[in-house]
Amino acid sequence: MIRRIRSLVAVSLALAASATLAQQQGQTPGQTPATPAPTGTAQTPPPGGPNAQAPAPPIPPSWAQGRRPEQESSTLAPHPPGLTALAANELPTSKIKVPAGFTVSVYASGAPNARSMTFGKDGTLYVGTRFPGAVYAVSPQGQVKTIAKGLHRSNGVAYKDGTLYVAELSRIIAFRNIDGNLDNPKYEVVYDNLPKDEPHGWKFMKLGPDGKLYFQIGAPGNIVMPPYTHAQVVRLDPDKKVLETMAYGVRNSVGMDFHPVTKELWFTNNGRDWISDDMPNDTLHRVTHKGMNFGYPFCHQGDLLDDEFGKGRTCDEFDKPAYKLGPHVAALGMRFYTGNQFPAEYRNNIFIAEHGSWNRTKKSGYGVYRVVLDAKGNVTKYEPFATGWLQGDQFWGRPADVQVAPDGSLLVSDDVAGAIFRISYKKP
Amino acid sequence: MRRAFAGLALLVAPFTAFAIDAEAVKAKAETCAACHGPGGNSTNPQFPSLAAQVPTYVQLQLIQFREGRRSNPVMSPIAANISDAEAKALGEFFAAQPPKPPANPPAADRIAAGQAIAQRLHCNSCHMPNFAGQKHIPRIASQHYDYLVKQLRGFKSGTQPDIDGMMTESAQPLTDPDIVNVAAYLASLP
Repeated sequence: MIRRIRSLVAVSLALAASATLAQQQGQTPGQTPATPAPTGTAQTPPPGGPNAQAPAPPIPPSWAQGRRPEQESSTLAPHPPGLTALAANELPTSKIKVPAGFTVSVYASGAPNARSMTFGKDGTLYVGTRFPGAVYAVSPQGQVKTIAKGLHRSNGVAYKDGTLYVAELSRIIAFRNIDGNLDNPKYEVVYDNLPKDEPHGWKFMKLGPDGKLYFQIGAPGNIVMPPYTHAQVVRLDPDKKVLETMAYGVRNSVGMDFHPVTKELWFTNNGRDWISDDMPNDTLHRVTHKGMNFGYPFCHQGDLLDDEFGKGRTCDEFDKPAYKLGPHVAALGMRFYTGNQFPAEYRNNIFIAEHGSWNRTKKSGYGVYRVVLDAKGNVTKYEPFATGWLQGDQFWGRPADVQVAPDGSLLVSDDVAGAIFRISYKKP
Repeated sequence: MRRAFAGLALLVAPFTAFAIDAEAVKAKAETCAACHGPGGNSTNPQFPSLAAQVPTYVQLQLIQFREGRRSNPVMSPIAANISDAEAKALGEFFAAQPPKPPANPPAADRIAAGQAIAQRLHCNSCHMPNFAGQKHIPRIASQHYDYLVKQLRGFKSGTQPDIDGMMTESAQPLTDPDIVNVAAYLASLP
């Protein structure tokens, strides 16, 4: 049964991939610059039609789209997927540096590719993965149980009234009555009409205060003209199956949360690659109304026109990010701090898990960062909170998501070390 | 034949310690040599050579087989009980073995055609200009022609799983003549 599902997924994936490639091929700009005909010369198409002599356009892999010719020999490439887990006593927890008064401990280990987190009932933590197709349930004592296997990019998780929703690449599934039912639970498909593109196809998912499921549909490549269905943050009513767009022009958001006071949606976004080491920034966004457009692929970080897609456009057409988080940091999971354990100045701050760069000669990110907002929602401070995943030029793990635990500590998932760390505070 | 492979699978004992000593790895690699050849230089074009393969590639593929994310009647039972540490050690073992080019070089015109296709599809972006691989991306230079054709057809049809979907996506523009030409080119490389 699982094998049959997998082959179906694989076939549909192949179909979707070919559709996307066809689009990319059709719209790859600038490959055959039109040569103006000399004045007074009749334009005669060459024998065999206008395209008979035209070379077939190059088709780079999606992560290498947008490279300039001089970047072709770059050795920068995405890092290997994390499919293993370090044992608890191998985790270099002491290397994680936090402010005075805070301590770091291991909450759970042995969870390969642990990424998005959400709490269910009775302190059970559900964890999604991008590569192994697994979903874990972690007990309050830190025991990891695999509750689902063989899913396709089961990255997004959300819990509502006894149901665990999981966002796969192209569908949303629901495990009903999941509380205390962790042995091979059954699921039903809630929505299966999402695009099947692999690039930026894995999803972050968050339950909204309106009971709807919020997630992204990323751009199918580094820098492409996205189909009208892509480069968005959307929300799904899981009962009525209505899908609505919340924000357009979003390259790929892999983290979102709702402001505890205003209930506004905030999200992180990953900027495009191959402009330079220092451009563009990953960004933090505030959605003040439905239908905002943040500019991709025309304008990046609110003020940088794209060399190729920005021609004839201006950044004034688009909404601005709330903050620039730094280039290539890979800002993924974010949460508002709503716990009672940390000092009062942390209340309603944003914590962001920065997975760390690949498209940068000097690595950036690889930590948990803190954003402080004033009463109007303006960013007043942005600083490192937990660092040390990067040692010199080498990383031993990569933060993927953060989650406030019921006791007010902050959990950090790590999809390379296959672990979840806990950051706690104790008054001196 | 099948019974012989089942016997091989039994030789692979579960392993729990973190580090593995060189002798144990070498003993384990003897099991692999039955198909993948001495020193990872396979003589049967059905089985890929592993000599000089990228270590992380071998490691992650063993884990994919173990977890049932990649499946093959011969490999799956052998990898079923492999530990993370064994997978890592075997990857490092094969990476250190010198590669030998396959015996029968393909026809020159097909090699030239395959080179043009590899350039157009930027295969070197991930597999590197010398096609020796990097990170978790495999070395495909001097790999068996038959094996390369089989894998590429599998990616094209969506029946060959890959970890991140990149090869399934990348194989879609290939026609079947493209596949055999690209395979001829890659097999011809040192």
